[in-house]
Amino acid sequence: MDLLAQAAGVTGDIGALKSAIAAMGYGLAAIGPGIGIGIVVGNAVQAMARQPEAAGMVRTTMFLGIAFTEALALIGFVLFFLA
Amino acid sequence: MDQIVLAIECDPAQPAACAPANTNELFETPTLFNIGSFGVNRAMLLMVLAALVVIALLLVAYRRPRLVPTRFGAIVEGVVGYVRDEIAVGVIGPEGVRYFPYLLSLFLFILVGNLFGITPLINFPVTSRMAVPFVLTLVTWVIFVILGFVRNGFGYVRDIVWPSTVPVALRPLVGLIEFVSTFALRPLTLAVRLFANMVAGHMLISVLLVGGFIFIVEFDSKSVLGVLWFALGIPIFAFEIFVALLQAYIFTLLAAVYIQSSLHPAH
Repeated sequence: MDLLAQAAGVTGDIGALKSAIAAMGYGLAAIGPGIGIGIVVGNAVQAMARQPEAAGMVRTTMFLGIAFTEALALIGFVLFFLA
Repeated sequence: MDQIVLAIECDPAQPAACAPANTNELFETPTLFNIGSFGVNRAMLLMVLAALVVIALLLVAYRRPRLVPTRFGAIVEGVVGYVRDEIAVGVIGPEGVRYFPYLLSLFLFILVGNLFGITPLINFPVTSRMAVPFVLTLVTWVIFVILGFVRNGFGYVRDIVWPSTVPVALRPLVGLIEFVSTFALRPLTLAVRLFANMVAGHMLISVLLVGGFIFIVEFDSKSVLGVLWFALGIPIFAFEIFVALLQAYIFTLLAAVYIQSSLHPAH
């Protein structure tokens, strides 16, 4: 917090600095889940193409996988609002 | 808040260009009237309206069941059948029929609440108020935790913190991760997922449509940027219909998965 205040002493606006850091933090938090969801959906599409009769099961499992992968991005989103 | 609402230079003389008033109600809703000391605001009224819409939907569709349903009845029956067969029975198994009424109310309430966000004249998704997803998640959490204890006794927690399928050396670590994930992260992500998607969608629509509109008005309808912005808002608007459906589906699906994991914790 002191570090933040010192840095803000230069610009004079601590609120804007905090928001900027929070926005960047959310951007960083979105990288991992972005890659993860890409892998999940890509493999699900491949599975559906190889075995169309299993598409229903694959789709349900895919949404579950997405939901679990998304968790980190969602925590980043919450921190963005908290900051 | 305001930095992300509109990234244009802010003119204090015209505050409308700084922040569309439409997004503020996500976080502050003024009280409309009081019942005793109990303040009622717009979000609460819309919540009640959402519940009434769900009740009316099912009453109209199922009041007079017939062999060959009307077109409206067929649509509602399709939705109800999907929730029962694909979510309740499909995820939980044959026992799922017991939890089907809860899952159906969850699905329809969230769906109607989400669709309020793109309904003209309402334009406010009730599920974007954190209280709504939070309470829905709390109910789901209480159901699956109590179910776990009723079905498995104390073994429910033991299986989570001391999983027998994991090598002994890793059990404390995996147990800790599983414990936090089951009892803290599950409800948190379930609630925040719905909340975040609805807030983001509402903001996107507000920024694109309201912002585009303000640009067109402020610059005497010669604003190319405003027109482009407004045009971009229309496909986003259609995309929000898809998001509303998907989020209602995912919330219900995950609720079913959590209930299932309490019934059979070994899997």
